[in-house]
Amino acid sequence: MMENEPTLVTEQKEESAKKGSNRIGVYLCRCGGNIADVVDLQAVGDNLKEDKNITVNIQDYLCSSVGQDKIKNDIEKGKVDRVVIGSCSPKLHLETFRSMAKNAGLNPGLLEITNIREQASWVHDKEDKTGVTSKAKGLIKGAAARMDSIEPLSPLAKSLVDRTLVIGGGIAGITTALELSDSHDVILIEKKPYLGGHMIGLSKTFPTLDCSQCILTPRMVAVHNNPRISMLTQTEVADVQGSPGDYSITLEHSPRYVDIRKCINCGACTKKCPTGAIFLPFVQAVPQAYMIDMSKCSNCGACVKVCPRDAINLEEKKETSLISVGAVAIATGFEPIDLSFIEEYNYPSPNILTAIEFEEMLSAKSKTGMRLQKADGTFPNRVAFVLCAGSRDFTGKGRKHCSKVCCIYSQKQAQLVKKMKEESEAWIFYIDMRSSGRRFEEFYHHTQEKGVNYVRGKVAEILPGPDGTLMVQYEDTNLGRKGREIFDMVVLCPALIPSTGTKEIADKLGVPMGDDGFIEEKHVKLDPVNTLNQSVFAAGCVLGPKDIHDSVTEGISAAHKVSQFLGKGVILIPPEKPVILECNGCGDCVKACPYNALTLEGGKALLSPLACTGCGICVPACPIKGIEIRNFTREQLKAQLKGILSEAPGVIVFIDPYAYAAADIAGVNRKQYSSLIRLVSVPSVHILDADVVNAAFEYGATGVLLIEGITDEKLTTRSDDLYKKLKKETRKHKKPIRYSHIETAQYEKLTDLLNVFASQAGAKAQKMSRKEKEEISDKEELAS
Amino acid sequence: MKKEPIIPESKDSAFREQVLKTPVGEKILTCMQCGICSGSCPVSQEMDYSPRQLVRMVQLGLKKEVLSSNTIWICTTCFSCSVRCPRGIHPTELMETLKPIAIAEGITNRNVKFDTVFSDVIKTNGRASEFLLISKYSMTEPGMIKQLPFGLSMMAKRKLPLSVDRMENTKELGTIFKLGEKSREKK
Ligand SMILES: Cc1cc2nc3c(=O)[nH]c(=O)nc-3n(C[C@H](O)[C@H](O)[C@H](O)COP(=O)(O)OP(=O)(O)OC[C@H]3O[C@@H](n4cnc5c(N)ncnc54)[C@H](O)[C@@H]3O)c2cc1C
Ligand code: SF4
Ligand code: SF4
Ligand code: SF4
Ligand code: SF4
Repeated sequence: MMENEPTLVTEQKEESAKKGSNRIGVYLCRCGGNIADVVDLQAVGDNLKEDKNITVNIQDYLCSSVGQDKIKNDIEKGKVDRVVIGSCSPKLHLETFRSMAKNAGLNPGLLEITNIREQASWVHDKEDKTGVTSKAKGLIKGAAARMDSIEPLSPLAKSLVDRTLVIGGGIAGITTALELSDSHDVILIEKKPYLGGHMIGLSKTFPTLDCSQCILTPRMVAVHNNPRISMLTQTEVADVQGSPGDYSITLEHSPRYVDIRKCINCGACTKKCPTGAIFLPFVQAVPQAYMIDMSKCSNCGACVKVCPRDAINLEEKKETSLISVGAVAIATGFEPIDLSFIEEYNYPSPNILTAIEFEEMLSAKSKTGMRLQKADGTFPNRVAFVLCAGSRDFTGKGRKHCSKVCCIYSQKQAQLVKKMKEESEAWIFYIDMRSSGRRFEEFYHHTQEKGVNYVRGKVAEILPGPDGTLMVQYEDTNLGRKGREIFDMVVLCPALIPSTGTKEIADKLGVPMGDDGFIEEKHVKLDPVNTLNQSVFAAGCVLGPKDIHDSVTEGISAAHKVSQFLGKGVILIPPEKPVILECNGCGDCVKACPYNALTLEGGKALLSPLACTGCGICVPACPIKGIEIRNFTREQLKAQLKGILSEAPGVIVFIDPYAYAAADIAGVNRKQYSSLIRLVSVPSVHILDADVVNAAFEYGATGVLLIEGITDEKLTTRSDDLYKKLKKETRKHKKPIRYSHIETAQYEKLTDLLNVFASQAGAKAQKMSRKEKEEISDKEELAS
Repeated sequence: MKKEPIIPESKDSAFREQVLKTPVGEKILTCMQCGICSGSCPVSQEMDYSPRQLVRMVQLGLKKEVLSSNTIWICTTCFSCSVRCPRGIHPTELMETLKPIAIAEGITNRNVKFDTVFSDVIKTNGRASEFLLISKYSMTEPGMIKQLPFGLSMMAKRKLPLSVDRMENTKELGTIFKLGEKSREKK
């Protein structure tokens, strides 16, 4: 599998910094008032006047072509050779600005953005203009000082492994795999013993009512027969190593006890099995092979003897395998919320089922011969559909989001009931009938014509009666009257939530999830199938509930994005790696590095840049301070801190990129926090040592916070030690220092923490200055 | 019941704001009119407006209808609506919030009267007495005379005991009520 060993493509070029003689252009963006209404940009600019090598320019919209052309011209004319931009988040426009800089002939790394919108003008009291302006002055001054001190680096390029892992064999994963297989190798894994996901358990599909299995089977067979796709069922991700573009992933395969390559579906085994333990999942299942339910097997070996192909192995064990891939597409879909928490609905009870159970009865997976039936085997003459069960719930018991497909599939199911028996009754209890897709309103209209009963009102209670019937109580909100009806069957439409295991996969790949638990898109609108990890993509219901049409669209998009990514052949990796300036050969860094990126060669530490993630653990580990992270050296950080705190004291918050994203989300949601907070973006909090933190205190920080968002346990398990060490070694300042782990989705936790900490630090600072004053007056008294 | 059209003049924004500012008001605006509150309410059929409709009327600021509705007095504080509301609104608390506003606004319908009589009986005796309750209420509500034959037949069947049950130390009870009122005044 490792024939595609990644190699380093280019070495980074080094140019030396010429501190003090750089021509730094500071460009500030009004953002139409989004920034300028709160921050006095003129004052921010004037604050840099003394510095002869800085020029300041203020624009309405820097991201517009006018704004960009201004910067480009200045670079091309040689007016500036380093650029600091004060604008919206770098997450939005850093790439845009850097490619402009590159076109103008500047090393893109010499352009940086200071976020004064999501992390300043949007998150502080609008009346506190002085406070926010003072903060912006400091941030920009710090950014200019940093820009003066950094060296031009070129990103490292390494070649990609041209193979993709698709996780999840539902319609989204199937589509992604098939689309990719035209030009790339794919490994498709599915945790169930067969492909198809929820779609294979559907009856007909809205809005056209074609049979689900009929349209899906050809695609599943195509996957099975495709030479470029290796399809592995009963398989899950156990471990992820490596880095974007080059992952070594351990897969875990559960035993089926039947070799799918050998089994020819003759069924001889089933006939001989005394306990019914060996079976074919269902006739159309892909792969077509029998399997054994070990909880039923008596180990008699009858099947083994009778199998003409020698396909059965009762001794099969869980196995693992190692694969090497360059990209990953997550398509793990959804599952229904467990409805037993809604006590008044009495789920599970006979004849109260979920919509998924209802579908399965009428699908390829049916166990009732595709007949709709009650627990006693008879046809339900009165069926109620209860929408929004556990959805649209803001109490914390259910889920906030709308599950999107229930409104339409429940009408499909109601139509099916009417179709099977015309005189039967189907009632739909809804809060809002959402049918805003192409052909959906027509579908709604058609269902009404079929005589389905619609009641606007969320069902209040479902009470099972002694004879297997069910009493449903509700308010008909259109009439403002309470009602009760007796039904034979009640179908609950559950909130659809991300499947179990998705979070673990996302954590292993360093992909953040939203606070609803679905995978977070790189950009909600503009990059809907990318994630924040450039080599990881997502498609289908793992990005939120949706129908087959949209799942397929995303599958195709994800395949396109993967192909675009792999097509480049190389991946650029950030050049901010450690440099070993001095080494006495003690090997402490080698022991400390969690990624085995350091070795001792000839008594000196040697870095292998491809294995290095830039986590920075080696920096404080070196006893002679011989290691620095390029462009985040102690001196560079100190220069920046000095600038930031030159205006006014404040709270310094060292924040890693994952938590930085949380701060941006807080900004977009206008969550307010104290303007004393100054965020300092670092690649990882582990690069920090007491040198830097003490400097922050000396320059006037009233408190220091370390906020880490990365979920990699190799780092987070060491964070407590880092914090304790820093606390101890900065004790002399008697100022508060704190560490917190905050994932991207937890932006509310972040703003709460920032507020609490800012006031703590403020109180402490006040107490200290009072004490100092007292001490001084004590001394004066003594002197007099 | 004649239904007035809702026109700008029917809406009292000061009243709306007053309720929205109370602890229960915080979430009132997020009501999605799902009706699970009214569907769950054991007495909504007796109300002029169901709990759901009451929430809507508060959103609009229909002060007159809200404060004179029997809904807030009929509520049994069973909490079914509050437990089930998917938006975390507490209709029960809303009823409790609206009652003192109605009293302060001088609303005197039979529900207010009954509530006053009921709390007086409790204040003086520490226990509810059906006989006292009915006789006192009848004095404020002349229409009750029509119920006399029914009351007599109940008495005959010993379903309406004439004895008045009192708790032991009503003096302490009085102090408790006084303290309660004082603290409310302070607020
Ligand atoms: C009751 C109901 C009726 C519906 N009816 C319709 C309809 O009529 N028309 C329509 O257009 N849409 C319908 N839908 C929506 C449709 O089911 C979805 O759009 C579609 O199934 C989404 O496909 P998916 O691949 O994203 O997710 P899924 O179908 O959920 O597939 C995900 C796959 O990933 C696998 N998986 C999960 N976790 C892991 C893991 N850790 N490792 C490996 N594999 C994993 C799962 O086993 C599953 O096979 C309906 C949905 C419901 C609930
Ligand atoms: S799709 Fe319809 S039924 Fe489902 S949660 Fe949304 S509104 Fe409710
Ligand atoms: S930065 Fe981290 S991964 Fe890189 S060498 Fe240092 S400790 Fe290892
Ligand atoms: S249950 Fe809550 S959201 Fe629903 S109508 Fe009642 S108050 Fe509104
Ligand atoms: S608390 Fe009051 S309004 Fe709510 S359900 Fe009970 S009786 Fe009805």
